Amino acid sequence: MKNILDLRFIIGAFFSLVGLLLVLYALVPTASGREINVYGGLAYLIFGLLMLLLWFFFPSRIQEE
Amino acid sequence: MKLHFIDYLIIALYFVFVIVIGFLIRRKVKSSNDFLMSGRSIPLWIASLAFISANLGAQEVIGMAASGAKYGIMTSHFYWLGAIPAMLFLGLFMMPFYYGSQARSVPEYLAKRYDEKTRAFNALTFAVMTIFSSGISLYALAKLFEVILGWSFELSIYLSAGIVLIYTFLGGLTSAVYNEVLQFFLIVLGIAPLVIIGIHQAGGWHGVVSRLPDAMVHAWKYMGSAQDNPMGVDVWSLALGLGFVLSFGYWCTDFLVVQRAMVAHNMAAAEKTPLIAAFPKMLMPFVVILPGLIAMALMHTPGSDYRLPYKPDGVTLDYDMALPSLLAHDYPSGILGVGLTALFASFMSGMAGNITAFNTVWTYDIYQSYIQRNKPDSHYLRIGRIATVFGIVASIATAYLARSFNNIMDFLQLVFGFVNAPLFATFFLGMFWKRTTGHGAFWGLIGGTVAAACTHGLTLAEGKGAWLGANLHTFHSTMGQNFVIAIVAFTSCFLLTAFISLFTRPHPEQQLVGLVYSLTPKPDTGHLAWYQKPAMLALLVLVLVLLLNLIFM
Repeated sequence: MKNILDLRFIIGAFFSLVGLLLVLYALVPTASGREINVYGGLAYLIFGLLMLLLWFFFPSRIQEE
Repeated sequence: MKLHFIDYLIIALYFVFVIVIGFLIRRKVKSSNDFLMSGRSIPLWIASLAFISANLGAQEVIGMAASGAKYGIMTSHFYWLGAIPAMLFLGLFMMPFYYGSQARSVPEYLAKRYDEKTRAFNALTFAVMTIFSSGISLYALAKLFEVILGWSFELSIYLSAGIVLIYTFLGGLTSAVYNEVLQFFLIVLGIAPLVIIGIHQAGGWHGVVSRLPDAMVHAWKYMGSAQDNPMGVDVWSLALGLGFVLSFGYWCTDFLVVQRAMVAHNMAAAEKTPLIAAFPKMLMPFVVILPGLIAMALMHTPGSDYRLPYKPDGVTLDYDMALPSLLAHDYPSGILGVGLTALFASFMSGMAGNITAFNTVWTYDIYQSYIQRNKPDSHYLRIGRIATVFGIVASIATAYLARSFNNIMDFLQLVFGFVNAPLFATFFLGMFWKRTTGHGAFWGLIGGTVAAACTHGLTLAEGKGAWLGANLHTFHSTMGQNFVIAIVAFTSCFLLTAFISLFTRPHPEQQLVGLVYSLTPKPDTGHLAWYQKPAMLALLVLVLVLLLNLIFM
């Protein structure tokens, strides 16, 4: 089982969720600043997913000891 | 500034994450060492980011943007001339002694190297200072949110202090360190889009530069005379005061930051923690200083309706509002929630850093050393938790004190500045001159503190100082005055410590192995690849910092 105390998982999960929220918010017709929220949201989402990938494929030896 | 549901949702998500981190880490806390020292098991990259994040509090994020707006790129000297060289010195020369001596805190190193009275002086002043710093941070957060969001003072104080209390009480230092790393990414990624948007609005980097006075867009060009630059300091007081005494004093001896390196999982990682941290640290001016310059540039950009607010006097610009007002101007709902969460994160990271340093020094250096020795470890774990609660409650009380008597806080910060200024001389002599004695160190510290106070009392800057009844010199700025006070304090402490040491009995050499440079075996790094050698990492950092100085010359 993967270590959910690995900080890369925590950071990845947080920014993925924030990114997703911003992208979804930009789809709301009444939302202001949709362009900024889409680009910002996508950037956070990509960063978050990258951290999750690092966590999944490269487990930290120190934290699992 | 009006928040929408999405903004509150993002702020709430962040609060949930930091509290969950505390709950998850609680399961790992079984001893006082786990709670106060993270069991010395923190991986290098986490220790490095926590090292700079512990310093990335409110004063840094809001204050550096304010200085950027007031002084321009010259503010980067705090990083490229001050912090980075000091961090390299800490990693290369001082961490081996902090870590190798098995000291659990900076005051405990002083006890091992000198004596109990030097430790007690450092531990007590540090404990009081951390509480006041934490309280001031809390006060600044509540004031800011009162102004920009209309939140009540009480709501901001109890919400942020309550959340910091939950995660530090549950998971101790590990929880604080984990949250600091999350906060680091949040601050950087929360503010970076603002820099990009701001530069775009000002017509690109060329637009920013062309709309500001020349002295604000050069780091070194106007340093020849204090009258020529907005900081009001000359190159010598800058290099010696900021570049040497103040920066080395803070980054090499302040337990708040040094603790993050001391809890690394082994000696090699502890040495490399400040060196690795120096890479992101050298880029921080682009996140925390640049918004200030952008704010000033936008004020002079045709078609831009951005205006930096004035202070209540209606005459002076409120530079502290540079970052918050830019957030309000440029961020729409949604990403505004991220930006505000970044501000929350910076305040909470500063507060948690102070609280976790306080509870360690209180438990190990005051309680265990002078009040209750030889108790079972579970007793000290409980005391560490009680100290955490006390630290938070005392911080809240300090925030209210600051609200009622703002001058008292200014006075206390001034006094603490006097105490801090000579400290680096004590450590420098202790680590590099085996003849230095405990009596020399203690009286040197007292003498340096008194010299700092006298220098302030006999000089004047922007109407501050000269309280001893005479004014021997008038400085162009309080910053210039502070740099000279630091130089005088360091020199006094250095000379007094050396003088008294020559007439008092030093520790036998065998007791100083692992504590003094000349008596400690040097680790063999010959088998390491070049990029793993601390000296090569430091050289790379130096080259990059030199390049940054040249680019923004």
